[in-house]
Amino acid sequence: MVNRKVAKVLTFRYTILALILVILAAGLVLLPKYQKHEGINPEELLSKAISPERYISTDILADRLVNQDPSFILIDVRDEAEYTKYSLPNAINIPLKKLLDEDSVPYLNQSQYNVILFSNDNFNADQAWILCNRLNYKNLKVLKGGLNEWFKTIINPVKPTENMTALDFELYSTRKAASMFFGVAYPEQFKVDTPVIVKKVAPKKVITVEKKKKKPAEGGC
Amino acid sequence: MGPLIPNGVIPYEWSNIIAIIIGIAFGFVLEASGFSSSRKLAGVFYGYDFAVLKVFFTAALVALIGILYMDYLGYLDMGALYVHPTYLWGAIIGGAIMGVGFVAGGFCPGTSLCAVAIGKVDAIIYVIGIMMGVFIFSELYFLFQPIYEGSFEGNITLMDTFGVNRYWFVFVFTIAAIIIFALSDQIRKRVKKIFY
Repeated sequence: MVNRKVAKVLTFRYTILALILVILAAGLVLLPKYQKHEGINPEELLSKAISPERYISTDILADRLVNQDPSFILIDVRDEAEYTKYSLPNAINIPLKKLLDEDSVPYLNQSQYNVILFSNDNFNADQAWILCNRLNYKNLKVLKGGLNEWFKTIINPVKPTENMTALDFELYSTRKAASMFFGVAYPEQFKVDTPVIVKKVAPKKVITVEKKKKKPAEGGC
Repeated sequence: MGPLIPNGVIPYEWSNIIAIIIGIAFGFVLEASGFSSSRKLAGVFYGYDFAVLKVFFTAALVALIGILYMDYLGYLDMGALYVHPTYLWGAIIGGAIMGVGFVAGGFCPGTSLCAVAIGKVDAIIYVIGIMMGVFIFSELYFLFQPIYEGSFEGNITLMDTFGVNRYWFVFVFTIAAIIIFALSDQIRKRVKKIFY
């Protein structure tokens, strides 16, 4: 009896299968829709944001600039006025307001170069970094401390005091050399070394004091 | 979570091994359901067997609905899936040639290899033909290149092109598929029965 019942149902097997498909498809239409999170997912953004790897230090940047490393582009996110006043060599000016313009996309959204963002401090560059990361752009870095740090460390390095380690002195001399590369002139560069006149040491005349010959005591009185 | 390999749930190195396992399973199922017979495959054009149509339409439907549900529930990121790029004229011309080959030879490339595996002579000749076609295409690539790389439309989908809601599209597609299945059954009943 069971078999006959099963057989009866099975005659409709294709109809049932078709119905299942239709119900499932209708379910997709009827399900309540929700706003999907687009772009980078929050966990990934957070882990990128707290990773120190997203910063590049001024020393490394100076080293790359000096060595003419072609693998990165510098992007200045400050205003145009500030940019014209001073910027890093070969930097491209994309003010924060124009970051999402169509013209700036080719610079930011590409995979050939590392993009180094900088502003006066971290803040504006960090904002630009977050915005670009939300759009899933790759290879973005922020100059740690921005131009202020650049001035403090590279352009105008602090001379180490005498009680500091040899490493500090080495770092200072590298930074000083870098600053010379970027056009800072130091007074000692212009100081003409006045040749130290080494006085010829005149050979000492040995004055031999002739000892008076002892005169034989003359007989006196 | 998904797709599994790009998200690192399954290491990338496993992808080839998984592909081989899926390929073996696919070939086995094709053979077991009679798809290595050129008569069965060609039946769809003569109207005495619509198994090919039904199988491939159902496969597309199941995959579509399944992917959309998984995407909805957050198990799969649909944005990370590969969308095959569209070269419009290349696809049209290639599709027409493939269709002619399908009617004339009674195999599509996958099923022909499946039939070679069980030693069908017609399939062996068919595969040799494929190889010759590949050779001619490669040698004359400079002639075909403008068609092959021309009219590039990007990685587009039907939903993007027509700007329709994907859920409604799938629903309409399902209804259309089921109507086509019913119609094909009607046609099959009218056509003279062929035993093969």
